Amino acid sequence: MKNIAIKIAAVGWLVLALVPNAARAGKGGSAAAIESAVRSTSTDAIIAEIERAESLMCEDCIQIVTGLTEDPRFEVREVAAWWFARRPALRDMLVSQFAADLPHGDTVKVRNAADFLGRTRTLTALPQLRATIHRGDLGVEARLALVRAVGFMAHTGGNEVLITAMADADASVRAAAVAAWRDMLGQASAQPVVALLGDRDASVRAQAAGVVGGMGEQSARAALEGLVIGDADPVVRRNAAWALGQLGNAASRAALVQASGDKSGLVRGVAKAALAQLH
Amino acid sequence: MKQHIQSIAIGAALFTLGSIGCGGGGGGGGEPDVGPLSSVDALVILQRPMRNDQGDIFQYTSYKPGARLVQLKPPTADGTLTTLCCDKAGTEFKDIDISSYDLSFDAKSIVFSGKLSANQTYGLFLLQLANGSVTQIATDPQRDFVSPIFLPDNRVMFTTNAVVEAGAPQHRDEYERGTTIQLGRVNLDGTHLELGPRNLSHRTAPSLASDGRVIFTQWDHLGPENSGHLMFVNQDMEELREGFGKEGTGASNSTLKASEISPGRFVAIATSRNRTINAGALIDIRLGTVENHGGVVSAPTNQSEANATYRLLTPDVPMDNSPSAETVGRYYDAFALNAKDKPDLLVSWANGPVESGVLASAGLAANFGVYLYDTEHQQRRPILDDAAMWDVFARPLATRTAPNVVGSALDARLGNQTLIGSLNVYDSSLHTFLPGEIYGVRVMEGFSSEEGFPEMFGTTMFEGQANLGVAPVQADGSWAAKIPANIPVHLQTVDVFGMSLFSEPVWFSGRAGEARFCGGCHERRTQTTNVKPGVIDALVAADNKLMSDKPRSARLNNAPMSATQIVGVAWNKLLQPMFDANCVTGCHDANNSAGVAGYTIKDAMGATLGSWTLNLTGDPIPAALAVAAGGASYSASYFSMAGPDMEAIEKNHLTITGTLKVYMNPQDAHGSLVIRKLNPTRLFPNPSTQRAFTTTPHLTALGKTDLSPLQFYALILACDMGVNYYARENNPGLNIY
Repeated sequence: MKNIAIKIAAVGWLVLALVPNAARAGKGGSAAAIESAVRSTSTDAIIAEIERAESLMCEDCIQIVTGLTEDPRFEVREVAAWWFARRPALRDMLVSQFAADLPHGDTVKVRNAADFLGRTRTLTALPQLRATIHRGDLGVEARLALVRAVGFMAHTGGNEVLITAMADADASVRAAAVAAWRDMLGQASAQPVVALLGDRDASVRAQAAGVVGGMGEQSARAALEGLVIGDADPVVRRNAAWALGQLGNAASRAALVQASGDKSGLVRGVAKAALAQLH
Repeated sequence: MKQHIQSIAIGAALFTLGSIGCGGGGGGGGEPDVGPLSSVDALVILQRPMRNDQGDIFQYTSYKPGARLVQLKPPTADGTLTTLCCDKAGTEFKDIDISSYDLSFDAKSIVFSGKLSANQTYGLFLLQLANGSVTQIATDPQRDFVSPIFLPDNRVMFTTNAVVEAGAPQHRDEYERGTTIQLGRVNLDGTHLELGPRNLSHRTAPSLASDGRVIFTQWDHLGPENSGHLMFVNQDMEELREGFGKEGTGASNSTLKASEISPGRFVAIATSRNRTINAGALIDIRLGTVENHGGVVSAPTNQSEANATYRLLTPDVPMDNSPSAETVGRYYDAFALNAKDKPDLLVSWANGPVESGVLASAGLAANFGVYLYDTEHQQRRPILDDAAMWDVFARPLATRTAPNVVGSALDARLGNQTLIGSLNVYDSSLHTFLPGEIYGVRVMEGFSSEEGFPEMFGTTMFEGQANLGVAPVQADGSWAAKIPANIPVHLQTVDVFGMSLFSEPVWFSGRAGEARFCGGCHERRTQTTNVKPGVIDALVAADNKLMSDKPRSARLNNAPMSATQIVGVAWNKLLQPMFDANCVTGCHDANNSAGVAGYTIKDAMGATLGSWTLNLTGDPIPAALAVAAGGASYSASYFSMAGPDMEAIEKNHLTITGTLKVYMNPQDAHGSLVIRKLNPTRLFPNPSTQRAFTTTPHLTALGKTDLSPLQFYALILACDMGVNYYARENNPGLNIY
């Protein structure tokens, strides 16, 4: 709460300078409507009301939405950050506050900071995000948020965060980092992901197969052929089959023929479709 | 819960008995009327665990494990409920959620969109009703594929957030928040997956019509336009056409989940975009001239948006997002059992305040159950209501006639290009052009923030735009151009100065190899376009390639050498240097040396927020005025030219006193003060000294060097492309951090 209070105070001068006290209700959106939505506890209603207030600037709105940037629910933090992203002057006020949490904040503060900086696409914060992923004292929530932040920014300046996260001790962090890799704008190669095809966690292997397939990473072919017929997890086998179809290499035919008789309905049809894509 | 279902069973039984006892018009010949479900052997129903996170009509990722497809046989409340899927499909399906489904034409299989766990995406699955086996249809495992429908020829159409353009991110919606979904299709065996051309916002809820076309909901957003309409495409995702909701024909902000009643006639949900759990009122849409043959009502001829009418089937149900009343509720979907003037419908309905906030406040979720709805008497008869589940998308388990395969002519010679054009651009139902005034048609590509931009391109609510070029109009009024396939574009007719004469208010796109030729410039849809005998001039004239062979990353120009080389208008890079060199010093500086009258912005209590005069410097806007600029921090020159964000002014109850002048009007260079003041020179077909207006050019009057054609056109494009601050040429996402 202290953190929020500081943030509100930080924007307070601006609020007082530019927002009239009476300017609290807008056509189609209002602070009262946002507040009512917050009271309802409905994530859906909160999102709807904040979207409706996309052009509304009022002291109460700012206070309420600032508070929501530290809501326990990611969806709420996300829409709150979006609201600020459409108000760059206010966003910039909070950016410095949140960025200051990255080096020393606890897991929750770093989580909230990363989500805010990511969702507002504050690209200038990439150096701090890169440094923060190397902190050894952060919980899973914060590490996931750091990955989420660079994933949303989709800027290759965040690759270091993802590569570091791919070696994380927690499988959910590794899986999230792998999944984000493919959608970085201008990402040239899936090479860093290939090793994750051998990860000890099935969800990571499944994501890795999707990425190397989606990016046409030919160096992953042998590993994928091994997965499609040998992995214990049907989702991994399915994703490997799809990926081999994307690679389209005729050398994968034998593995895919075998996979087309897989016991799982997830795999059989996908393997048959992949066979049709081989050159 | 058991008691609740029992009471429904009694009610339904009474309804059935009552129908038999009272007779009615349907049976004839003394035979008992057993109601509109008399010929239905069983129903298929989707049961999803109740939720309260799907208020937005374009929400497609909601996940709660425990969904199932069931059969109710006979289709009465005391019928037997049998699980069809996915209890026999294997343990990997134990936590599945199913968002929608479609029944095959032979009623032997079901295609559905399912999500196996929270960390996976929605994929497509094929269920064989004979044995309950399920196979997955091959799709990208990192993208969502939802809303599948069967097409003839063993194909499935769907919506997806996968992107047709390799390496390009998917567009974000009109709020620059949600990742949009677009149309695609795939063979049932998972081969030959094709992704359709993209809209700049969402597309959802496709449904097959008996004429073979697919009707779906498209969100249209271009400047002030902001609503969900029904559109048609052919099965190959070509020949996009308006269906219902534009041109003032709509009943509500959003029309969705259209389902055919009879040719040219659809039942759909009319509602608001959000907080309504995808539910609303039911409307009966007639797209053409209404015909009644033996009680079967259809509207197959003269189908057009202008001819469309609708009838409200549920008068008390709100069509906005206000909470619905007790016993009124909202409808989630509807399926017509007949085509009477007032048809009988299978519906999903929930009682009470079906609105996200109210439900959450009460700790509730909407409880959709299946009902038979008699629209003539506005009576609902309960069929199935599992109090723990949403019972939705009830359909008779019956065969249906597959429509013909409807495709479009593809020209392989176009490669990855789309050919667009008009037979006679002067033929328009939206605007009257003076003979000879149109020089050409400008094509502009649209994009949203997904390319790395901030959430706002400026204060005018327009999406990012890139000028692909101008195709000249020929002597017969025709024009043609090749453009990149699959991208959203919009068109403007322009004069010889390059200024927009009329802006078509929608985005459209075409597939690779598709030729999209219109009669005119939004011509009357039911009118025949008369073309002189022979080949139209546009096809004889030179090949107009409007960046059609350039990839997305190359559709920009950081150093245009001539006017027609300008692609995007990056405010700080293209316009600010011009202002700095020609306008600022001694005139339109921060001190208002020119003495131009300004204005003051006050709050509702009369307190002054700030005053502003024409300031063309690149300085940031003072913080005190940021509220009037939508909270943004653009430059003083931008704020001077674009003016205050009028939506922000209105929403914040601000008032403006003094002399407010907006110098640049979005999509209206011709009427923009700065353009009229500077009086541009002719640009097309070749630059000349001819002026657009009779007034003395501002710089000439001051004895200064006039602007170049490139500079004039940069200002014109800035206006006509929405008065944005950002373009690809100043995309912050392209910098190194």
